[in-house]
Amino acid sequence: MSKPRVAIFDFADCEGCELQIANLEEEILDLITIVDVVSFREVMKEHSDDYDIAIIEGSIMRPMDEERLRFIRSRAKILVALGACATIGGVNTLRNQWTPDEVKKEVYGSAKLNETLFDVGPAKAINEVVPVDYYIHGCPIDLDEFKAVVTSLALGKKPEIPTYPVCVECTKNENVCLYELGKFCLGPITRAGCKAICPTHNSPCDGCRGILKKPETECVKDLVARYDLTYEELAQRCTVFNSGKEACK
Amino acid sequence: MTKDLSVHVHHLTRVEGHGDIVLDVKAGKIQQLQWQVVEAPRFFEAMLRGRKYSELRLITSRICGICSIGHSLASLKATEDALGIKISEQTQILRRLAINAENMQSHILHIGYLAAPDLLGVGSVVPLAGSKHHDVLLKIVTLHRLSNVMSNLICGRTTHPIRLTVGGFTKVPTKHQLEDLKASLQEALPLAKDLVGVLQSLQNKIPDFERETEYIGLSSPKEYALYDGTMTSTDTGPFHENKNYQSLMKEYVVPQSTAKYAKHARASYLVGALARFNLNSSQLHPQAQEAAEYFDMHAPCTNPFLNTYAQMIEFIHNIEDSQLLIDMLLSRGPRDEKPVTVTPKAGRGVGIVEVPRGILVHDYTLDKNGNCTKANCIIPTNQNHANIQLDMEALVPTILHKSPQDIELTLEMLVRAYDPCISCSTHYLTIHFI
Amino acid sequence: MNHPTLTITKKELAVFVNKLIADTTYDVVGPKAKGKRFAYETLENASDLRLDHDVTILPPKKYFLPICETLLHYNLKKAFDAHPEAEDKPRIIIGMHPYDIIALQQSDKVYLDYQKDDFYQKRRSSTIIIGADIETVSERSFAASMETHTTNEGFDLLLTSIGASYAVTIGTDKGKKLLDKYAVTKKITPVDLKKVTDMRSRLTGRYKRSVKAPKEDWPRILAANHDHAIWEEKSDHCMECSSCTMVCPTCYCYDVRDTTDLNLTNGGRFRTWDGCMLKDFGRIGSGEVFRKDIKDRYRHRFYRKGNYIPARYGYIACVGCGRCGIACLPDIADPCDVFNDLSRFGQQPDTDRYYIRRTTKPQEKGIIHIPRSATITRIQRLTTAETLYELELDDKKPLGHKPGQFVEISVLGIGEAPFCVSSAPSPAPVFEIAVRKVGNVTSKLATLSVGDKVGVRGPLGVGFDVKAYEKKDLLFTSGGIGIFPMRSLVNYVLAPENRPKYKSITILYGAKTPAEVLFQNEINAWKKVEGVQVEQTVDRCEKNECWMGCTGLITTLFPKVETKKLDIKNTIAVVIGPPIMYRFVIKCLQTIGVTDDHIFVSLERRMKCGVAKCGHCQMNGVYVCKEGPVFNNAELQNLPEAFE
Repeated sequence: MSKPRVAIFDFADCEGCELQIANLEEEILDLITIVDVVSFREVMKEHSDDYDIAIIEGSIMRPMDEERLRFIRSRAKILVALGACATIGGVNTLRNQWTPDEVKKEVYGSAKLNETLFDVGPAKAINEVVPVDYYIHGCPIDLDEFKAVVTSLALGKKPEIPTYPVCVECTKNENVCLYELGKFCLGPITRAGCKAICPTHNSPCDGCRGILKKPETECVKDLVARYDLTYEELAQRCTVFNSGKEACK
Repeated sequence: MTKDLSVHVHHLTRVEGHGDIVLDVKAGKIQQLQWQVVEAPRFFEAMLRGRKYSELRLITSRICGICSIGHSLASLKATEDALGIKISEQTQILRRLAINAENMQSHILHIGYLAAPDLLGVGSVVPLAGSKHHDVLLKIVTLHRLSNVMSNLICGRTTHPIRLTVGGFTKVPTKHQLEDLKASLQEALPLAKDLVGVLQSLQNKIPDFERETEYIGLSSPKEYALYDGTMTSTDTGPFHENKNYQSLMKEYVVPQSTAKYAKHARASYLVGALARFNLNSSQLHPQAQEAAEYFDMHAPCTNPFLNTYAQMIEFIHNIEDSQLLIDMLLSRGPRDEKPVTVTPKAGRGVGIVEVPRGILVHDYTLDKNGNCTKANCIIPTNQNHANIQLDMEALVPTILHKSPQDIELTLEMLVRAYDPCISCSTHYLTIHFI
Repeated sequence: MNHPTLTITKKELAVFVNKLIADTTYDVVGPKAKGKRFAYETLENASDLRLDHDVTILPPKKYFLPICETLLHYNLKKAFDAHPEAEDKPRIIIGMHPYDIIALQQSDKVYLDYQKDDFYQKRRSSTIIIGADIETVSERSFAASMETHTTNEGFDLLLTSIGASYAVTIGTDKGKKLLDKYAVTKKITPVDLKKVTDMRSRLTGRYKRSVKAPKEDWPRILAANHDHAIWEEKSDHCMECSSCTMVCPTCYCYDVRDTTDLNLTNGGRFRTWDGCMLKDFGRIGSGEVFRKDIKDRYRHRFYRKGNYIPARYGYIACVGCGRCGIACLPDIADPCDVFNDLSRFGQQPDTDRYYIRRTTKPQEKGIIHIPRSATITRIQRLTTAETLYELELDDKKPLGHKPGQFVEISVLGIGEAPFCVSSAPSPAPVFEIAVRKVGNVTSKLATLSVGDKVGVRGPLGVGFDVKAYEKKDLLFTSGGIGIFPMRSLVNYVLAPENRPKYKSITILYGAKTPAEVLFQNEINAWKKVEGVQVEQTVDRCEKNECWMGCTGLITTLFPKVETKKLDIKNTIAVVIGPPIMYRFVIKCLQTIGVTDDHIFVSLERRMKCGVAKCGHCQMNGVYVCKEGPVFNNAELQNLPEAFE
């Protein structure tokens, strides 16, 4: 079996998820023995447009970015969205409540801006522009999940992503529930796969892996009422990572 | 010499974010020479509008994946300043450890993965595996992992830290964990020194280029300033009005860039490891001083390519400094402190820290419920853009006789030496919320 | 009956515990404070041990059935290399409360009685349990109602706080030896003995929560209230997090998956806790999900506790620890509440209706989770999606299956999936499976070649009782890939040495389209055997396709069955096909007069472990992998989940 050719691309984001790949440390050497990394701008100068698997990080902001993404999709057999910005839109979508013109005016004032560079639309998740085959969720991604997806693809197996909430992993970690401590946590409605890392460090889940049950679902409303929180607080908290169109799917 | 030349570097590699270099020479005359930032703008502070004080760090951490700890700390300092919160001594020490960890992680990433390939004549670290430099690669990897282990221990996670919160830490490391960390740092020192040797042997690959400029960073009488200090310029000296930082860092918009540019006393200034070195080198810990001697670097050092070397010196300093900080914690016994309780109130706060790429400012105004009404961030890389441009303008005439490939590589190396964090710099914006 | 015979002062107990900790051959664990809660953790000092804990977040089951454990290691660079995980360090658990000790005894039934789980057994036998009588009653516990607040057995030693000392009950020799070696004790005085008796008798009254319905009534209450509105009302609030099952000391379901290192060489097969409240618990390779509705999953959990497991093992699978009540955010998980609500709504005596008791013995062969190696010796493409594999077991021993039994096939690195054996029983170490490409394992199988290795566990489950079918007319109906297991049965009864034992044989077979007809050559051969009638149909036939036979659903074949020739009362009908088919075909069979106990079906569920442990293939009280996959229709009448 020939090695799959992998290209890693980034759009609007913090590049933190790509950084996790560098955090593989010695295992990077294993990675490059099982796949050919043909493009990874953040760490290598070499580049090729001939690849089987494209891994996309970041949200899509501008027509020029959409065009570049469509080109990548047309060349890739498998397209993987990497990290919250790519999978659900992530924090980038927080600004979508205002129009691009409003934001630009407020940000750069009356300065004359380059029309192409600043031709900005609403921030989008990758699958709002092109079809996505697999998702690696999180802000940032979980390195073990990244490895599981890469090895799965290299072995010809469909990667499995949890469809259950963070509570499952949190309970397995034997954490004291943050609700018991009077803290407000999105774990019960957020997709697991992060090993409940935030609650394990006594910090509430913020929903970066995507919301499984919308805040307006009856059982979520019940939960909020039971713990003396307001629905508005919950909904507001959800918007940090889940303001995008793709977030509550 | 009369020649035509066109250098177009589209999406410069091995830097964080998207930037282009454009050089057009006709008949030996430079027609166009530009450093362009083409990263999609993210309008970060717009996202802060109306957000609760407790969410500001959460959101601004996402400005940058490499210096998310630095952004978190600047954000917390600004928030705590606005709310009038005093943090404990233990929190201060832990935050200094956090900033050391990030400086180490970011510097070694830049030295090892981003800059070293140029010095070793390869396109990336990948070809180093199995080559005669394999051993060097493993040392880089070991030091990189140690930096991450340290960040994980102090902050819960390297990228987008978890434990850092308004008023303190959600969880603190145990005595055992700190002892183990101290031992690992001790083991890492010889490896870091080996790397100093390797860099010294490659110093002849550094272009012989000098351009004196203004250097700005934090300074403190107590220490080599990173977490706390007074904004200081090599031209004009200390500047004590934290809340008036904008008169020191004057920002402006240029047409070729989605990031803002900045200047102070001159047309441009430089921030980052080299600026800190030029301001505070006498306060480096002993083994870091030795490394500087070994590189024969003395303040003021005016070759911007040597920023990478200043980072290496800081890396050693961070190891030494962390060991001392851990000793302080161990002598007191790390306490399971809860974060300070917060009572929301209205106010404005400014948080200034040194992050790997230079001085970073977060500035928030909160309403009486603790919700953000106005936010501003000054990103280190923004402050360097103008200096990169002016360096290029001074550099190109001196290298025009070289081959286009050499010119391209030298220009790339120059930008890389600044270790620009372009994603950060385009996340910049100032907003006055209504 | 064990009684306390010794006492140990609190100071001496601390010395004892510290000596145990110092003995590095053991991992010594006990409840430690975690915020305001408690958790079992490794002890570094006796002072951390909190024998006065109310209840721990997770039960000590994590030490016997770890949250994540490696069942086997493999090396993908070698032909077939799968070896079990090395042993754990022996462990001493201090402070286990009686209800947790009783829960552990219940797990023993599941993991040791029927096809013992080697990993569980190793841990069980290398663990010393020092129990502790309850000092602090947990707010949510109702252990007294469940009679699990005290226990006389299941421990090696038991400590009972009596003021400045602990009374010590010796449960086993192992416990006594440990005491002799490390502890300074005194003989118990009658005064102290009375303190223990008093403490225990007072304990019952200290519980704030109690179940009105005696636990003996739970199976009858559930038998009467399958369709009660409570299931929907409560499950409407469910967050589907399965925390209730994770923290339950008597829940034992698990999932298994293969994880390979980034070098694509070394990897492991991991078993992790799973929960029946999770959406994908009943998802099978083809994507179909059983017990899809949260209401059904919610009800399932209570039926397991109060009806299914009691029918199977004879005990109520709830010890009243109250952990689920604490863990459940919407507070709908507490059995105490549910049974108090339901106790007003009647009871029914036929409590075992959801369970089918089988007397067949399992075939214990080696470690139940470690597959035997087999080599692919022949690959025959049947259609674009289906392939037949001939496998030879490398130990050269025959599989020894009956028609209708299944095997778990492993492709290391990908996983394991169940397949019905498609060939007739044979004395050779060779058998066939037919595979439709739907999931990960089947897709990977499609890429393998002759000579490649796979793992085999089995034969598993109960097959067709071919002996009981002798001297009877046989009517076989299969649809789609139902022909895969049917082929094993047909080829068995048509074998020259077996054919005389059976009367007439009618075979009905339907496929979706002519292109999807499987084994046509073999079917043609079947037709030629004397006394065999074969009828075929396809659901639809495109204009450009060649098909001489009947068109229409499988039921259109029934008028062609020569019923007059059949002794209907002595006819055995076997039906295998997609779930949708069963209802209609069974109706046809009933119409022509075949009795339910003569109608046999083979059902598909998520058979994961194959040994009645992981819980995934459960259909009401029945494990399809153990009591099935072959059932007669009479047995299924009481199983609402059979044809969902």
